[in-house]
Amino acid sequence: MTEEHDFKVAVLPCNGIGRLVSTVVRLAGYRIKKMRPDEVVLLSSGRLAVKESEHLAAFEKYPVLVIDGCRPHCASFMADELGKTPAARVYVADVAAENRISIAGEKRRGLTEKGMKLAEALANKAVAEIDRVIADEMLSTL
Amino acid sequence: MADKVCLQPCLGLRKEAVLGRQALYVVHEDLLPDQTVLGCGPALNANVQEDIDFINLYPVLAVEACDLDCATKLVDKKQKQAARTVRITDLAEELHLDIESLPEDHIDAGDPAVQAVAKKIAEHVSELLASG
Repeated sequence: MTEEHDFKVAVLPCNGIGRLVSTVVRLAGYRIKKMRPDEVVLLSSGRLAVKESEHLAAFEKYPVLVIDGCRPHCASFMADELGKTPAARVYVADVAAENRISIAGEKRRGLTEKGMKLAEALANKAVAEIDRVIADEMLSTL
Repeated sequence: MADKVCLQPCLGLRKEAVLGRQALYVVHEDLLPDQTVLGCGPALNANVQEDIDFINLYPVLAVEACDLDCATKLVDKKQKQAARTVRITDLAEELHLDIESLPEDHIDAGDPAVQAVAKKIAEHVSELLASG
């Protein structure tokens, strides 16, 4: 008898609104879902903050990757608040530094090519983490 | 009497949430910059002082994308009550907007739908300020 497994990662982007990086995180979230449509459950921070049942169930069921946009690390706070240690964390400033991308001059209401480059780098970093987490889950079942 | 209104959007993932988010940038940056502050849901949830101050100092206009009313509930969670809740779905119906025709992930702030919703939200802000 073979055991059925459901290898997915729940991705929790902070999805804030106040800062420029909020827009970067939001757009990266959509990109991540497009890059790994069958492996990613994209969570809404708004729904999770008020413990909406469907989102809470996905958050509890799958390993979680959090994406924090700015210093308060609000997505990480939310995971901590709900009692779960994320399997991976990605922070926008780290990705900007690693890729030497500056988004000075961009606007939060809409990114140009420069801002989208950071969103893309953020998505790529997150997807690498997702692949690692899923590989770790799969190997642990063998 | 309050001199500003705290705009508290739902920040979800669906199109209505994106429409609301973009409209709030227009309200806050273009239409009523001196009469509004822009509350960030995850920051409020994480007790970031600025966002806690916003809901303590100003009446809150919660802008929801659907009937889950997550922004309103988040304000409740912080022991305050939204002065008013508006839903993008209701505004879209009132304005005869075709939500389905809007792009999926990003809607330009200059899009007529964003501008129309922003004007409606600005009217709600003005009413809240006038009502004291």
